[in-house]
Amino acid sequence: MSIVISALQYLGYILIFPGFLFCFLVGLLLSGIDRKLVAKMQKRVGPPVLQPFYDFFKLCGKETIVPAAASKTVFLMAPLVGLAALVVLQLFIPIFQFTAFSGMADIIVILYLLLIPALAQILGGAASGSPYAGVGLSREMVTIISCELPLVLVLLAVAKTVGSATGEGLSFSFASIAAYQAANGSLILRLSMIPAAIAMLMVIPGETGNHPFDAAEAETEICEGMLAEYSGAPLGIFKLSHAIKMLTLTSLFVALFLGGIGSGIAQLVALMGLTGPAANGLTVLLGAIVTVLLCIVLTVVSISFVHAVTARLKIEQIFKFYWTVVSGLALISLVLAWYGL
Amino acid sequence: MFKKLIAESTAKSPWLFHINAGSCNGCDIELVSVLTPRYDAERLGFKLAGSPRHADIVVVTGPVTAQSLPRVLRAISQVPEPRCIVTMGSCPQSGNVFRGSYSVVGPLSKYVHVDVDVAGCAPKPQAVIDGLALATKILKEKREAK
Repeated sequence: MSIVISALQYLGYILIFPGFLFCFLVGLLLSGIDRKLVAKMQKRVGPPVLQPFYDFFKLCGKETIVPAAASKTVFLMAPLVGLAALVVLQLFIPIFQFTAFSGMADIIVILYLLLIPALAQILGGAASGSPYAGVGLSREMVTIISCELPLVLVLLAVAKTVGSATGEGLSFSFASIAAYQAANGSLILRLSMIPAAIAMLMVIPGETGNHPFDAAEAETEICEGMLAEYSGAPLGIFKLSHAIKMLTLTSLFVALFLGGIGSGIAQLVALMGLTGPAANGLTVLLGAIVTVLLCIVLTVVSISFVHAVTARLKIEQIFKFYWTVVSGLALISLVLAWYGL
Repeated sequence: MFKKLIAESTAKSPWLFHINAGSCNGCDIELVSVLTPRYDAERLGFKLAGSPRHADIVVVTGPVTAQSLPRVLRAISQVPEPRCIVTMGSCPQSGNVFRGSYSVVGPLSKYVHVDVDVAGCAPKPQAVIDGLALATKILKEKREAK
C-alpha cells in the first residue's frame, strides 16, 4: 500500500508540482511577462501576458510539415527529448529546502542536463536538412561552449564556499548548499559570491538564447536557425522548452544564491503553530510562491532589461564576452572563495 | 473544449510572413511601420516570422512579376494549414501602374485563393491592421471548420 502511495506521490511530482504542469504554467508566464515588459520599455502596448499560451495552443492546432530532406524520427523526437530533459532538471532543483528527488543528483548532473535541450535543438536542426539550420547549429555550439566555462566556474565557487564551511572541500550537493544557506543566510550576502552572482546573471540570457546572445536563433538573418523547418506542434514544444529554460535557470540562481530566504519561510510557518504534514505542505507552497516571484524579478533584470537596451552580438563577440568578462568575474569569485572570504 | 481553446488561440496569435512579389518597396516599409511602437500590431499578437513554416498569414506585396510567381507559389505552399493570404497594396489586386507590362503576370488571385485584399498605394497602417484583423477572423473560421 505504501509503495502505491509513494509511487503516486512521485508521479504527482513528475507530472504536476515541480514537474511538467508547474514548468508549463510558470515558464510560459515568465515568457509572457518578458514580452510585455520589453514592449513597455520600448513604449509599446505589447501583447497580453498570456500571449505565449495562445502561441503554444495555436501551434498545437497547426499542420506539421516534415521536409522531404529531413530524417523523420530524429526531426520529430528531438523536441520531446529537450522538453523531457528540462522537466527532469526542474525536479532536481530544490525549492529552498524541498526537493522532489532529494539526494539523487547534485550540481554536476544539472550541468549535464542543461546541455541536453541545446543538443536536442542541434540534432533536430541537423535532421531537418536546411542550410539555415546548419548555420544556426554551428552558432549554437559556440554559444554552448561560451556559456559553459563561466557556469562551471560559478558552480565551483559556490561549491568551494559551502564546502569549506562544512569541511568537505568541495560540496556539490544541493542539499548541503540549501542547508548551509538556511543556517548562514543567502550566499549572495557574502563578499566573495557577488561577482559569481553577477556572472550567473549574465549566463542566464546566453543559456536561454535571449537577446543579445541569440545569434543562433537570429530570426531576421537566418530564419530562427535550427527552427527554420519546424512547424506545428514540434515548433510549439521548442518554444515551450525555451520558456521553461528561463524558469530553470532563474530558479537555479535562486537555489544557488538566494536560498537563505527559505529559512524565513520555515520560521514563519513554525510561528503559526502548525506541525506535521500541514506545516510541510505550507512551507513548500509558500516556498514555491516566493521562488516564482524571485524568478520573475530575475527574468526582468537579466533577460527583459538586457533585451530592451542591447542589439544582437556577433558570434565571436559572444564568445569573447563570455570567456573574458564573465569568466573573469566568476574566477575572481573562485579565488576569493579559496581564501575564505 | 480543447478544440475551442485552439480556435480561440489561432485568432489571437497570428504570425506574419511577408513576400515581396516585385513591389516598389513602399508597401514593405508600410508593413514594417505597422509593427513599430506607434501602431504596435504586437498588441494583437502579430509577429513577423522569418520562415514560412512558422507563419499563419502570408502578406504579398507587389504586382507579381513573371520571375517572382513560382517563388511566391512555392513559399505559400510551405505555410502549414490553416493559413490566410492577404494582399497588400493595389499592385497584387490589379497591377496598379505596372498593369500591362511585359513582365507582370498578376493579379495574384488568378493563381491562389486570396482571403483579404488591402487596397491603397501604399495603404495606411490603420487599413493594414484592419485587414490583418479580418484575416485573423478568417483563420479562426478555417480552424473551426476543420
